[in-house]
Amino acid sequence: MTQQTRPRALNRLKSMYALRAEVDKMYEGGGGSEEERKPVAWVMLEGWANPILNAMGIRTVYPENYSSVCAAQGLATPFMERADAEGWPSHLCGYARTCVGYSSRMVELGGEIPPEAPAGGMARPILLVGSGEVCDARFKWFQSLGRFFDAPVWTIESPSPSLRERLQEDAYERNVQFLVDELKAFVAFLEKLMGKKMDWDQLEHTGGGTTEINRLRWEINELRKARPGPMHTRDFWSAMSAALYRGAADPEGITQGHRLMYDEVKERVDRGIAGINRPEKYRLSFEGLPPWHSLGFLEQLADRGWNFVIESAYRPGRPVSIDLSKYDDPMERYVRRRYRSLDESLEEDYGPEEAEIIRKEILRDGTSRRLGLRHIREYQVDGVVLHILLSCRAASSGLNLLQQRMLDTLKVPALVIEGDIIDTSLFNPAEALRKAEAFEETMDHYRQVRKELGMPW
Amino acid sequence: MAAEQSKGLARAREVYLDRSRRAKELRAEGKKVVGYLCIYPVLEMVTALDLMPYRLFGDMREPITEADSYLPTVVCPFLRSCLDLGLKDRYDFLDGIITCHICDVGASLGGLWDYAVQTPFSHHLDTPHTLHETSLKQEKAMVVGLKEALEGFAGRTISAPALRNAITLHNQQRALVREMYDLRKPDPPLISGVETVRVIKAIQSLPVQEGNQLLREVISEARERRDGPRKKSARLLLWGSILDDTALVEMIESLDANVVMDDTCVGSRGFFSDVELTEDPLDGLARYYLTEIRCPRTFRSRDYMEARKDYMKDLESRFSYLHDYARDWNAGGVILESVRYCDTHGYEVPGVEDYLDSVGLPRTYLEHDYTEGALAPLRTRVQGFLEIIG
Amino acid sequence: MIRIYFAGIDLGSTMTKIVILDEEGQVLASVISHTGAEHRRLANRVMEEALGKAGLGIKEITFVLATGYGRINVPFADQQITELTCHARGVASFFPNVRLAIDIGGQDAKGLKIRNGRLLDFVMSDKCAAGTGRFLEVIADALGLKVEDLGEISMRSTRKVTVSSTCTVFAQQEVVNHLSAGVALEDVVAGLHDAIASRVARMVRRLKVELDVVFTGGVAKNIGVVKALEEHLGCAVLVPEEPLFSGAIGAALIGKERVMQALDRGEVLPTRERRLEEATFFG
Repeated sequence: MTQQTRPRALNRLKSMYALRAEVDKMYEGGGGSEEERKPVAWVMLEGWANPILNAMGIRTVYPENYSSVCAAQGLATPFMERADAEGWPSHLCGYARTCVGYSSRMVELGGEIPPEAPAGGMARPILLVGSGEVCDARFKWFQSLGRFFDAPVWTIESPSPSLRERLQEDAYERNVQFLVDELKAFVAFLEKLMGKKMDWDQLEHTGGGTTEINRLRWEINELRKARPGPMHTRDFWSAMSAALYRGAADPEGITQGHRLMYDEVKERVDRGIAGINRPEKYRLSFEGLPPWHSLGFLEQLADRGWNFVIESAYRPGRPVSIDLSKYDDPMERYVRRRYRSLDESLEEDYGPEEAEIIRKEILRDGTSRRLGLRHIREYQVDGVVLHILLSCRAASSGLNLLQQRMLDTLKVPALVIEGDIIDTSLFNPAEALRKAEAFEETMDHYRQVRKELGMPW
Repeated sequence: MAAEQSKGLARAREVYLDRSRRAKELRAEGKKVVGYLCIYPVLEMVTALDLMPYRLFGDMREPITEADSYLPTVVCPFLRSCLDLGLKDRYDFLDGIITCHICDVGASLGGLWDYAVQTPFSHHLDTPHTLHETSLKQEKAMVVGLKEALEGFAGRTISAPALRNAITLHNQQRALVREMYDLRKPDPPLISGVETVRVIKAIQSLPVQEGNQLLREVISEARERRDGPRKKSARLLLWGSILDDTALVEMIESLDANVVMDDTCVGSRGFFSDVELTEDPLDGLARYYLTEIRCPRTFRSRDYMEARKDYMKDLESRFSYLHDYARDWNAGGVILESVRYCDTHGYEVPGVEDYLDSVGLPRTYLEHDYTEGALAPLRTRVQGFLEIIG
Repeated sequence: MIRIYFAGIDLGSTMTKIVILDEEGQVLASVISHTGAEHRRLANRVMEEALGKAGLGIKEITFVLATGYGRINVPFADQQITELTCHARGVASFFPNVRLAIDIGGQDAKGLKIRNGRLLDFVMSDKCAAGTGRFLEVIADALGLKVEDLGEISMRSTRKVTVSSTCTVFAQQEVVNHLSAGVALEDVVAGLHDAIASRVARMVRRLKVELDVVFTGGVAKNIGVVKALEEHLGCAVLVPEEPLFSGAIGAALIGKERVMQALDRGEVLPTRERRLEEATFFG
């Protein structure tokens, strides 16, 4: 038994803490009394509504994030049980159930924030903005809150065409037009709700402000390809919250935070410092949504030399360089700034030769084996942890197939862990750790297999 | 083919029990069969090209053994069953398949089916979720896309007259179904809930004209029959997610109740509105398929531009048709059912319950696993409900 | 003078209960026995026993109403209704102000919303053993204890442990782990009671918890579970003297009610043949 205490396994970035603090501002109204006086909209995390709402002077709050805050502090269960008691089926999304329970409790208290709610709670909303993309919960859950709030519900409809469709000639332009029309309708609705007109200059500011943040996040991720991996997934998740939830409300502050983060990560790369305080024995990717309530379990894995160098969720897209000056319509500029054409993405991400192969595969099969695996290759990952979420069908449905593809195409194995984003009774860290040792042998084995096949890692 | 072809309800039962027989016969004669998932794919398009639309269903009595490699156990068992049957080559007679964005798992099913079952032709419809003006335009684009894809597959174009004709035939089917449903209004109803499921499933397994013929036979047979359902104490309305097997309704009707009306997708949902014959038929089709199917996967609200919302008025705009059904079919109680893990119906349940409470219609909610074994405990629940409303 | 009598039979998955009432609603006999695998034959035998106690012959019973899991297996029953309705009626006969009745039986747990003796709504949990009498039986068995002693043992607890597993099998493992770690038996047993109460409380909250709350079923005899339930629901929980008979009593009372109402209308309700089959091998 050593006399010295070993340092903690995870080597957290200093710059991450500052960014994480930004997220707390969202709930405690730490943005100052002016922020606090603003009306509040509960919003789903998606790419379109947030800057528009901020430009209209509406403060945005994210129940998805708030539910994970509750989970991380072990306070989600009473809210979920309340949702059960209210009659919501118990297999529904943990984020939704937590929010339903919270809303019910709020109504019980006459619209006041429950005293037991962590981080200052969520203020009562005047508007609920759902999303038609990613999963069903994100437009049905807010609709079901009608029992508690008479706040209108707007669902942002955004196209989610198949890959084949996206390659069609006119698909991109049609979808841009779709988004422009949809978001203009949303603005018209907001103008009615708020009794004032949209300030388009302000939208240019909130909408444009996140461009630099995204560029920095992309650059930071590029740095993370280094060996050893300089920034652990845990830090990425913490920082991600700030970028996604606060980016539009405070572009300058968040941008500066990311600049500092970039510098810190760059320095680590130059000096060969890793995101874990142990020798990097294995490089891993985390696929699926984070187990917010049991993040400490990653510390235990880090202790074994497992460095999570990359992850699948919330990754920033490649920065787009686009000449917006030829578009007069501010909404069109807003959309084109963020909506990417699949053709362009494939060219940029895979290079012209591989892009052509992928295109052919998509046209023939509807999809391509090469998609979804690029980060495994680029970050030279030895193994993947697949987190199957029992209350999230959208996130879990594709994982079995992904596991097969990774093994077939890249000879990279996956460790499957069942759990839930919110419901702690479903996740068993002890069991997951028991599997870890066996998985190390599997990773060693496939390293050998890749070597024999002449693969780069 | 049998020398003495059965007709009406007997034929419906036959088709229900051996669903793919007719499709395979027609295929042997050279006709192409296009499978479709759920009731959002545009059937008229398939019919207009002289292809046979054939609805995809699971099999409640078949244990799921192959689908685990592709879909985890925590997803809708109905969709898992569909995929499982596909993997077991039970759908190998399909020349094409149309899937659509009905729900999360349904959306991914298209891709999984392409990868693992590899039906020669496939097309996925990204049906919008809302009824915004932009969504309607998008749906039109979806319909156009489907048309072009099917034309490519069939090797010929759809002429406007052919499409109009197909719309007329399918509208005829809808009208015939409504006529059949009218036969459930008397007390006792002339056709049972179990028989209704069989007929609907049968017509979704036959070409539209044969389905129409079957409906005509069923209607005239039911009008004359002496062996119809008995009079029972309770008349029930059934709401919920997919019921492609008669087992649940059989269980309910084995008690002192008749299921006289439904709002399910192997039921009234695909038939209680017609496609408008617009100048450009694609407009009428887009409008019907986006706005007229009352499934919770579509987000409905009283007025999506309204800045002042009233929960009860919103519920009324979404669900008052259920009150109309209950009134017109004289139903004294509502059974809400959904298959376990169904999110779209799961989130809808509290709202439907609030609405039914507001109009004084007693209701009870059942969740089932899409297995036969799951039904026994539900019997006590249904009977308990009947004792409460009795 | 013609006297009329009513019998209520509750054929549960674990226990069969029979009650015979007279027209004033007085209990003339109440009998309970293990159900076992042969419902039909058993119902006959238990009925004979009840008749013996009441000093009556089978033909003197005016109306027989069966309830419970095996209610369709009672050949001499005139009608059968669910245990949901019968329990509500039976509980209300002991506690007229009951608004929430909780029944934890051998294989299921139920919550009943009651107003003025009428059943308004219910919740049931019957898909798994946790939250039912089976949960306690399995674990008691593994610990070498008798189920009827669990209540008393838990009352000695000063620091109950948490049994977090939602599954009976895993809970058993947890219990073994606690004991090997040196946790006192009474604290572990209290933890089990807490687990079952928490699960059932969760289920019944869907019906809104309002007084009077009454608890019936075999598990209601366990004082430890009663106390745990009170803690979780945050209110007093009443238990009838004979917590196992509310179903059978309710059935008999409903039978009586139906017969009386029919008589008022000048009708006689149809009945089955009054014959108890002999318990033969080929019966």
